[in-house]
Amino acid sequence: MIKLVQNELIKIFYRVGTYVMIGLLLLMVLITGGFMKYQESQTLDANQQSWKNELSVQNEQLKKDLAEMKGHAPKDQIEYLEKQIAINEYRIQNNLSPNENYSMWDFVADASPFIEFAGLFTIIIAAGIVASEFNWGTIKLLLIRPISRKKILISKYITVILFALFMLFVLFSFATFVGAVLFGVPDQSSPYLLYTDGKVIEQPIVVYLITTFLLKYVNTIMLATMAFMISAVFRNNSLAIGLSLFLMLMGSQITRMIAIKYDWAKYLLFANTDLMQYIEGTPIVEGMTMTFSVTMLIIYFILFQALAHYVFQKRDVAA
Amino acid sequence: MSAIQIQSVSKVIKGKKIIDSLSLEVHKGEVFGLLGPNGAGKTTTIRMIVGLISMTEGDIKIAGSSIKTDFEKAISRIGAIIENPEMYKFLSGYQNLLHFSRMSKGISKKKIEEVVELVGLKNRIHEKVKTYSLGMRQRLGLAQCLLHDPDVLILDEPTNGLDPAGIREIRDHLRMLAREKNMAIIVSSHLLSEMEMMCDRIGIIQQGKLLNVQSVQEFVQSTNPIFELEVEPKEKAITILKHSYPEGKVEEKEKAVTILIEKKEIPNIVKKLVEKNVHIYGIKEKRRTLEESFLELTTNGEGSKYDQVSTK
Repeated sequence: MIKLVQNELIKIFYRVGTYVMIGLLLLMVLITGGFMKYQESQTLDANQQSWKNELSVQNEQLKKDLAEMKGHAPKDQIEYLEKQIAINEYRIQNNLSPNENYSMWDFVADASPFIEFAGLFTIIIAAGIVASEFNWGTIKLLLIRPISRKKILISKYITVILFALFMLFVLFSFATFVGAVLFGVPDQSSPYLLYTDGKVIEQPIVVYLITTFLLKYVNTIMLATMAFMISAVFRNNSLAIGLSLFLMLMGSQITRMIAIKYDWAKYLLFANTDLMQYIEGTPIVEGMTMTFSVTMLIIYFILFQALAHYVFQKRDVAA
Repeated sequence: MSAIQIQSVSKVIKGKKIIDSLSLEVHKGEVFGLLGPNGAGKTTTIRMIVGLISMTEGDIKIAGSSIKTDFEKAISRIGAIIENPEMYKFLSGYQNLLHFSRMSKGISKKKIEEVVELVGLKNRIHEKVKTYSLGMRQRLGLAQCLLHDPDVLILDEPTNGLDPAGIREIRDHLRMLAREKNMAIIVSSHLLSEMEMMCDRIGIIQQGKLLNVQSVQEFVQSTNPIFELEVEPKEKAITILKHSYPEGKVEEKEKAVTILIEKKEIPNIVKKLVEKNVHIYGIKEKRRTLEESFLELTTNGEGSKYDQVSTK
């Protein structure tokens, strides 16, 4: 099995496209870093001292808005305001200035949206890993080895997961590196303020970042699994990429729209992929819990795998 | 025990019988040719032998192991090229071989080098496959299927798209492998002249059925040879011949008259013609080529004409 995974990794890392993808990811982080640095130099704080006053002024305004909105504004907007107010109050009470110097960790947090891109590249790999063998015609040579089709498919899936982790690692470590070079390593990092169930909790920022990266990546793994399944079932690279990308971009929005009217939306894949909703924010459909979502994800995962295996093992390789 | 045993195998796709209870045995040290027009079921049969396509009925055994129920064991005895040997173009030839060697047990680096040497790719093996010519790819394909010292070689259209030198090279390799390594080799093709030079035995497949299995010599010579008589006047000769040999399929050709007959009858024919004052300018024996036999067999629906001729 290790040798099979080794084979698959070789086939990924001997292609130029893979390096273009990694290069793009690094470039995006670098550009963001440069942009942040530029912005920082423009707004050197003149008001380091008066932040408490500013926050209380801001809070009064926020409270006014909140009172006006209550009843007719969407729920998530109200919750956002409540969260801001609670965090601001917490800062004033515990003497935690929001104007701490922008540090390495803040940059890593700002780079976290790029997880979507790491995800996109993972999907491209997952979509191609079975379909390409059919396109190249190499599937014929691959399947006449003394190895069952099941093992071949499993090794390909393991490779996708390894590639996904690799991309995540590259992103996280490179963002940390760029952050450290451009913004410096803070002596004592300020904690991240987490707002859950109406309470504010302090959390070490590193812990927060790693949780964010991993939980956001659950989404990617699920989409990659789906792309992998489409790739194995339809042998079509573009279909697998196209469908997965479409769902990646639109899936949660469509689910949100359905969720407004129907409760069964909570059984949809995209109602459950965003596990961050249980750490920060509110679930799409009321009453959903982390356990529920994880169970749903496992069910979808098994479904995708079963489909991929069933079709791949039965298939007549005729063309 | 035969190296390959195909036991009344059928394949039905969408209600259509592509292969109809086909049985065949191929022995060690033998090159077997699977011959048939396009769409006759050659490729389907070959893909069933290597497990790429499932069987609807029947079984195929490689050195005694079933490809259906004991896939890994059976397939480990097979080396195959299915159509063009498609390799990973972005890897070098050597990396391709390494890739496939990782999928079988116990292939040493030394073995890889040995195989590379055998197919004569030593100079270019570390270059990327995309720079290879078709002939070189074919040789790499051959190297790939020899890595694990198989007992059985299966080649689907191995000479497709090769120039005459390339064809000859493959042919020599195959003959050598059958002789020296005692492999059983199955080759499919629709190129008859090719098969004639390459194979020991030939099976003709048409509409999913195996019509006939014979050795190449038998195949070409099994029927009475055709004799071409250059005579004058032709009409007179034809009447005489038709009268004496009603079974002889006497035909008038542009310059001669042909007759299907045993060789020992020739003196009698000459005597008869001379007696009747027919001038004889020449008598030639014409061996039928494989192509003629093949066409005769496959164009006359289910080979009825062939049976009729050969049982006579």
